[in-house]
Amino acid sequence: MRSSRSDVDRQRRGVIRGVAGLALAASPLGSLAASTSDDGIARVGGSRPLIRYPGKRELLLVTSRPPHLETPFGVFNDGPITPNDAFYVRYHLANIPTSVDPDTYRLKVSGAVKSPLSLSLQDLKAMATTEVVAVNQCSGNSRGFSSPRVFGAQLGNGSMGCARWTGVPLQAVLAKAGVAAGAHTVTFNGLDKPVLPATPDFIKSLDIDHALSPEPLLAWGMNGEDLPFLNGYPLKLIVPGWFGTYWVKHLSEIEVLDHAFDGHDAWFMTTAYRLPDNDCSCVDPGTTPDRMRPISTLPTRSFITSLAAGAAVPAGRAIVLKGIAFDAGSGIRTIAVSIDGGKNWSEALLGKDFGRYAFREWSLPVTFAARGAAMLMVRATSNAGETQPMTATWNPGGYRRHVVESVPVTVT
Amino acid sequence: VRAGASAFLCLVAAAVVADAREVTITLPEVPAVLRASPMPGYAIAERECTICHSPDYINFQPPGMDQAQWTGEANKMHAAFGAPITDDDIKLIGAYLAVTYGSAKLTDPGIVPLATAASGASQGAQGGGEGSGSGSAAGAGPSVQALLANHACLGCHAVDHKVVGPSFNDVAARFRSHPGAVHELSARIRSGGTGTWGTVPMPPMQDLTQAQADSLAQYVLAAPGGAGK
Repeated sequence: MRSSRSDVDRQRRGVIRGVAGLALAASPLGSLAASTSDDGIARVGGSRPLIRYPGKRELLLVTSRPPHLETPFGVFNDGPITPNDAFYVRYHLANIPTSVDPDTYRLKVSGAVKSPLSLSLQDLKAMATTEVVAVNQCSGNSRGFSSPRVFGAQLGNGSMGCARWTGVPLQAVLAKAGVAAGAHTVTFNGLDKPVLPATPDFIKSLDIDHALSPEPLLAWGMNGEDLPFLNGYPLKLIVPGWFGTYWVKHLSEIEVLDHAFDGHDAWFMTTAYRLPDNDCSCVDPGTTPDRMRPISTLPTRSFITSLAAGAAVPAGRAIVLKGIAFDAGSGIRTIAVSIDGGKNWSEALLGKDFGRYAFREWSLPVTFAARGAAMLMVRATSNAGETQPMTATWNPGGYRRHVVESVPVTVT
Repeated sequence: VRAGASAFLCLVAAAVVADAREVTITLPEVPAVLRASPMPGYAIAERECTICHSPDYINFQPPGMDQAQWTGEANKMHAAFGAPITDDDIKLIGAYLAVTYGSAKLTDPGIVPLATAASGASQGAQGGGEGSGSGSAAGAGPSVQALLANHACLGCHAVDHKVVGPSFNDVAARFRSHPGAVHELSARIRSGGTGTWGTVPMPPMQDLTQAQADSLAQYVLAAPGGAGK
C-alpha cells in the first residue's frame, strides 16, 4: 500500500518537474545573466547579474556555489514585509541539502539535558505555536561600502528582510529536554556541511540565558507559508534583534554544553563574525583590533526606499519620501529626515507598528525649493535612545554598517 | 551542441518540486570561470579553489587589492578552511589573483619570481610519482592514495555513497562497460566538467600526468559498482 502510494508520488513529482521545466524554459534565456543592477559598488567583475533560484524571483547573484543571493533594494519600498520569494539567501558551505523529507526530518536535542530528544516536524507543530515579525539582516549587509574596502561578499544594502515567523519558542523545546544545572552555551547546527572534512562546519552558539529567554524561535513558517527551501526549510532558528548569522538554516541539531563552545567546528563563533571588543565595535580604518568579540545585536538603522541615488525630483511641488527603520528590539522612536545635506531636519510620520523587531515604515512630504543637486539623509532613534552616526565606523570584517544613509538626487 | 543543451537544462533545472513526502530543489548551473592567465597560479587556482566555491567569490571582490592582500586570502583558505594547498601554492595563487584581479603588475619585483611556469614549485609537492599504472585494477596502491589525498578527491567522492560528486561505485557502474573506459575516465578527471552527474562542477585536474590520471581511473573503475543507477 505504502509503496504504491510512493510510486504515484514519484510519478507526480516527475510530472510537476516537467511542467515547471517547460514554464521556465519558455522564459527568455537572457534572464539568466543578462540584466544587471547597479548599486554604485565597484567590483572586479562589474555589475552582478540577476538570477532565478528555486522558490525565488530574480535576485542579485553574489555567489552561485554555495548560493548567496541579495534582494534588489527596490523591494523594500513595497512594504514592511519582505515577500518569501524576494528574501535574500546566504550559505557558507557548498555541501548544502537539496532534498528534505518532512516526514523523516528530525531535530535532535542533546548534550547537558535530562532527556535527549529527537523531534519530528509533527512533534514541534503539536506544541504551542507563536509568531514574531522580525528583521533578519546579514552581518555583512552593505560591506561593499566599507572604506577602505575589505574582502568578503561585496554586498549592497539588500541583504536584509523582514518576515512573520511562525514556530515554537526555543525555551519550550529546551524545557522539554530539561536543561541540566551548569549549562553554559547552546549550539545550533543545520544540514549544510563543508565539502572538505578539514573545513569547519557552520555551527553557531547562544549563551544559555539567551537561549532560555522568550525571544528565540524555531520556525517552520514564514509569512504564512513553509520556509522557502533556500531560507532553511524545514526549520530555522529565529533570533529576533540579532544578526542573521545566528539564524541557522535547515536546523537539525541543538546541543547544550556545560562549557564554552570551542574547537575546530566553533570557527564561525571563535574566529569569524567578530567585531572589535569596544563601545563602538570599531577601529581606525585599516588597523587591527586588540580584542574581538562575537557579533550580536542589530544597531539602529534606517533607509530611504522611495528614491534611489541619482533620481530626478521636481522643484516646487510636494512629493512623499518613504523608507524603513529598525533596531535590535526596543522599537523606533523617531525618524529625522534632511533634504539639504544635514543642515535642517524634519520628523517623519511613522507607519503601522508590526512589532518592536519589525521594519517600521516612515513617510514625509517634502518640497524642494531650488533646482540642482540635493542630498537626502535619514536618521533613526530607537526607544532605547540609540541613534545613527553621521560618519561611518570601520571594522576589519566590514560588518554592522549603520551610518546615516545619504541619497544624492537632482532637483529639476 | 553539448554547451547549448546544458544552457537549456540549467533553466529547466531551476524548479522547486514539492509534495507530501519530500521537498527537492535543483540548483541552476551558473556559468563562471576564473580569468585565464599564463601564470602558474592559474591552474592551481582552477584545480583547488573550485573544490569548495564558485569563481564568482573571486570575481566580485573589490578592485585594487594588492599581492599581500590576495596572498593573505589564499592563505586564509588553507589556514581557516583547510584548502589542500602548499605554501608554494599559496604564493603562486596569490600572485595570479593579485595580477589578474588586483593592483599587481607582472613586472613587480614580488611577482616576477612567481609569474612563470618554470618557477612553479608546486609540482614537486604532488607526491605519488609516476602513477603505478601497471594495470592491476586492484585496490589503491600507495601512489593512488597520495594522488587521492593531494587532489582532495575524497572531499567530494566516496567509494560507496554520493558526497558532493557521485560515488566511485556509481562511476564504475556507468563507465566500466565502455570500450576504452580507462582513457575516457582519465580524460574526464583531467578536464573536469559538469552535467554528467548533476550541476555541481568537478574542477579540472590538469596537472595530473596521463599516467597519474590513468591510475586514478583504474582505481575508480575497480570499485564494486554493483548499485549503479
